[in-house]
Amino acid sequence: MLELVDIGRSFRVGPGEMHILRHLSLTVAAGELVSIMGGSGSGKTTLMNIIGLLDKPTSGQYRIDGQDVLRAEARELSRLRNRLIGFVFQSFFLLPRLNAWRNVALPLMYRGTPEAEARRRALAMLERVGLAERTEHMPAMLSGGQKQRVAIARALVGEPRVVLADEPTGALDPKVSQEIMDLFLELKREFGVLILIITHDPGVAAQCERQVVLANGALTETLRAC
Amino acid sequence: MLKRVLAEAVANLLASRQRSALALLGIVIGAAAVIAMLNVGAIARNETIRQFRQLGTDILMLRLDSDSGLGNFQLADVEALPGEVPMVTEVAPFVIGGGSVLHEGNVSNGSHLGVTADFASVARLRTQSGRFISNLDRYELYAVLGQGMAQQLSTPYAPVRVGSNLRIGRYVFTVIGILEPVLQSPMMPVDIDNTLFVSVPNVRRIMANPAMSMAVARIRPDAEAEAAVRQVERYFAPKIRDQRLSVLSARQLIAGMQNQMQLFTLLLGAVGAIALALGGVGVMNIMLVSIAERRREIGVRLAIGAEPGDIRTLFLAEAVILSVAGGIIGIFLGIGGAWFFAWLSGWEFVLSPSAVPLGAGVSAAVGIFFGFYPAVMASRLDPIEALRAE
Repeated sequence: MLELVDIGRSFRVGPGEMHILRHLSLTVAAGELVSIMGGSGSGKTTLMNIIGLLDKPTSGQYRIDGQDVLRAEARELSRLRNRLIGFVFQSFFLLPRLNAWRNVALPLMYRGTPEAEARRRALAMLERVGLAERTEHMPAMLSGGQKQRVAIARALVGEPRVVLADEPTGALDPKVSQEIMDLFLELKREFGVLILIITHDPGVAAQCERQVVLANGALTETLRAC
Repeated sequence: MLKRVLAEAVANLLASRQRSALALLGIVIGAAAVIAMLNVGAIARNETIRQFRQLGTDILMLRLDSDSGLGNFQLADVEALPGEVPMVTEVAPFVIGGGSVLHEGNVSNGSHLGVTADFASVARLRTQSGRFISNLDRYELYAVLGQGMAQQLSTPYAPVRVGSNLRIGRYVFTVIGILEPVLQSPMMPVDIDNTLFVSVPNVRRIMANPAMSMAVARIRPDAEAEAAVRQVERYFAPKIRDQRLSVLSARQLIAGMQNQMQLFTLLLGAVGAIALALGGVGVMNIMLVSIAERRREIGVRLAIGAEPGDIRTLFLAEAVILSVAGGIIGIFLGIGGAWFFAWLSGWEFVLSPSAVPLGAGVSAAVGIFFGFYPAVMASRLDPIEALRAE
């Protein structure tokens, strides 16, 4: 479970302060698929950085599974990200010099998992996302959709509590986008993981059971049956 | 863990081959320079020691000068020296000159020495064939040849050997002995290999103005060289009137040469160190460029859970691998360079025992030193900004 309470984030700009987020609260339960929509400059990226433990809010509380994650130092934050968060980026961000399974195994490697064990789990996860035939391919030899599948496998291999997807379909054509969304829905059911998708595509948001809209640094929620 | 980091670092270096090769080249040149310089120093030191091996280090060279040129020892004074100065065990005065020797149409220009029988034992000369000059030879037209001169005078049909006749000026000398090959010694005023020896009385026949101006003496191995030099000077002071005596000991000469050599080695080492430092700056430059290019990769790694220490280790590993690989190639190149120098100068090649570990250690240290700053820079990147980088 993820709990954001009264989050504020402001940046110092010259003499004054710019408030990007104010009094933002959001609670998401395990196994939920939530979309966060918002226009440019609405604070989407800042919110994602805070949820992804890459940035800290200037005020408010943030708990994952009841654990206060705002107290952590840089090293501890790295460990928390490794264990709790899985990232999926718009432009995939696979490491170009590692093949598919090594990209997937990377979070396990940083956790100190022995290589044989990490490889086994990475291969299993690649098979789960439908890339059993592409495990030794380098990222440059994969299509956009395949790259995103590798990225999703990398996000899930460490069994995180939260998968944070930033415009995961933004760089893909509609058909492949739909395949990726279907994959998210399957994985959510199968792993019971909490998935947050940040998007500006209403078609993507429509497939999520919860949709929240970020505007002027605060959230409004629309509830709809999925 | 370490194995994986190294494998990843090697893969990263191989991914930008040309750039890595350039950084490597800087280190290779630096390490090769250090190794070559140190080894050339060792070769030169070895050569000095080798030059003294034949003659030994317990040797004094006495030389007398007068206002009009060479001085003249009284034979009796010189031969009484070992009795009067107990530190001196043997002494042999000699007359020095030079000119051409003919044999079967071959000419050799070299030194001519007029010597007493003791010269062979004081200067540690051994005959390969025949015998050395004896004090009983007096005016007999006998000559002993150094190995090099004997070979130079030989023709394919008439090798110079005991019994061969040599023509010197208006006289015909008979060869009674040929010496074993001898290394040129820095103590000796002549190259023994290229010298003809005759008895002291005979020097008037082959030299225009013979003067017994020099003597070689051997001191007791446990004697202190400086004390011996002072005693010899005191002994001769009343006997030589207004002539000037200079006494040189082998040990003083060696000490002087070694001082010089040390300075030389230090200087060469400094040149090598500068080259290596420049190589290190090259590595640092390459690492900084590489980090700037791979900012997004660093961001991704941080996002999925790499600790700053992991990032630092990765980039430090790349710098150290570059430096150590460059160092290893440089060691081989440097040793090759030193070998080439030895071959060119005709000196004996020796491998300086400190060169290899020193070269490897120094190049690894260069990698760590110059790789540390870029690695720390990389580990301190803010993941948000690193991810945003294009």
